Amino acid sequence: MTALIELDRLAKRYGEITALDHVTAVVDGNIIGLLGPNGAGKSTLLKALLGLIPYEGRARVLGLDCAAQGAEIRDRVGYMPEQEAFLAGMSAVELCTYAGELSGLPRNEAMQRAHAALYYAGLEEKRYQPIESYSTGMKQRVKLAQALVHDPEILFLDEPTNGLDPRSREDMLDLIVELPVRRNCAIVLSTHLLPDVERVCDHAVIMHRGGLRFSGTIDELRGARGRDSELQVEVKADAPRLADALTTAGASCRVTSPVALQVDLPAHATSQLVFQTARAAGLQVRELAVRRESVEAGFLRVLGEPMPEAVPAMMAIPPGGGVPSFPGGGAR
Amino acid sequence: MSAGQIYDLGYKRYVGSRRSVGTRWTVIMRHQVASSWKTWWRFKIWLVAAALATAVASGVLLLASDKIIKMFVGMSGKAMRIADGLLSLSPAWDCKIGFIVSLTIGARVIAGDVQTGAFTFYFARSLRPRDYVIGKLVGLIVMMSLVMLGGPLVLAAVRLGLSESQAELIALLPVVPKSLAIGVLGTLIYAVVPLGFSALITNRSYAVALWAAYYLLIGHVALGLAFVTHPVVAALDLPTALGAVARDLFDVHLNSFVKLDIPISAALISIFAHVAAAIGLMFWRVRHAQQTGVGGAS
Repeated sequence: MTALIELDRLAKRYGEITALDHVTAVVDGNIIGLLGPNGAGKSTLLKALLGLIPYEGRARVLGLDCAAQGAEIRDRVGYMPEQEAFLAGMSAVELCTYAGELSGLPRNEAMQRAHAALYYAGLEEKRYQPIESYSTGMKQRVKLAQALVHDPEILFLDEPTNGLDPRSREDMLDLIVELPVRRNCAIVLSTHLLPDVERVCDHAVIMHRGGLRFSGTIDELRGARGRDSELQVEVKADAPRLADALTTAGASCRVTSPVALQVDLPAHATSQLVFQTARAAGLQVRELAVRRESVEAGFLRVLGEPMPEAVPAMMAIPPGGGVPSFPGGGAR
Repeated sequence: MSAGQIYDLGYKRYVGSRRSVGTRWTVIMRHQVASSWKTWWRFKIWLVAAALATAVASGVLLLASDKIIKMFVGMSGKAMRIADGLLSLSPAWDCKIGFIVSLTIGARVIAGDVQTGAFTFYFARSLRPRDYVIGKLVGLIVMMSLVMLGGPLVLAAVRLGLSESQAELIALLPVVPKSLAIGVLGTLIYAVVPLGFSALITNRSYAVALWAAYYLLIGHVALGLAFVTHPVVAALDLPTALGAVARDLFDVHLNSFVKLDIPISAALISIFAHVAAAIGLMFWRVRHAQQTGVGGAS
């Protein structure tokens, strides 16, 4: 089966600046988060995947060569830009119809699908109004509709929740989550809003300074380096005593409360060690789980940057809708 | 059930044929024509003005065709009849209307698209820079030809209608291709050159102002310089160059106090150099926009 995106030593330089540094990856999934600080190479990667810039190495989208078959790729891919990309004086339905025609659909088909895409994006009542009169949230919806109108197999969404209030943001994320199911299309979500990734993505690609730092599932990103040796343990009582016993058995432990501790198992040990040690010490294990990081913690670990003190390990959206982003990601 | 589910129940993937990439410029052309036609002040009112000017000129041709007009002299040096001289005069009013239309729909196109982020919209699809340039160019040429080509052709038809014999009609037939040539050159000047100016700047108001300044100021400066240096310099003024071509084609010479006999070759070189430079500018801007527009500017 053909992978969505295949990269083989993909490289791109702008003079002295290395935008993409021999990136090799096979990317698949339903909703893929493309992450990285400013200057990481995300935009250059998108341009290369759309066949808009020359590059070294090989890149394939849906099995098509990006260098030679850019036009075919762009017919099968939808792109929702971060910045405004409208035509002056047009209504949403005119813009989407025009978009469909430019992607090769016959005029009647383009018009029908423009209405359907705008219905899907929740703009059914306002679709005949000039886009200039729309709110930021409505403009984001138009951008999504125009990217959908020609029936793409992959959607590239560039910061789709930028500038949205909390409710509009939730609505947009709901639409994004539904797309693979309703429209049978995969999504590549380029964003600096890690909670968005945590909420909707099943795969992540992390780039930094032109290089690929991570490509895998969100669980792999959140999991402790891909192994189940870091555990969160809850006991009925006396967590310090279990910590002492486990330390004697070769594990390293950190007591987080009188009834909870974090355990890093020694090499080749399994969670059975915790149960055996607890039984021997006369303690009762109430809960044992593989310790997972937040996407942000995983992201910072992948980037090799320390976790900021102010950011909790498990991410939560703060009241008022402000969303945490990774360092250097919100300055655009 | 979410909005998406409610409104998307009938969704089926499109499996029909798609328009080939090579013909998608026609979609852009159609859009350019439609958007130019949309508001009354951009094009319609000026088309009416051009039609009125042509109607007045046609009336003059019909009612006073035998009157002698001292402003023109033919190759023999004798003053000409209105019927023989008026056709060469059509650029005088067509150029004024063409210039206004170039301000309202021509000089703002590419700059406006840069300003609104439209290039991202265009080039995220399977369009090439040449599809965009050809689509916009042909769209504007279609609109401008209604102003610049219609008048001369109508006047040529009226002139043919004034023929008193079949022999005169046949002898007068060349006025049709000559009028066509003047109309085509006028269309190129007022459709292509302002579009080139709109590719120079990324703000549509400044692009319009730059084109107006070039047309009015540089043109008049060139005319002034031509009087003190060489008539060829006047060919830099585009309406003067078009007028020179028209007079040359109809064998008419100005009989005014101040004469500027611009060689037709200089006039044509000026017109085609402007057009070529404008097309080059368009391709430069659009190619650049294609590579930077999608996915930010890094």
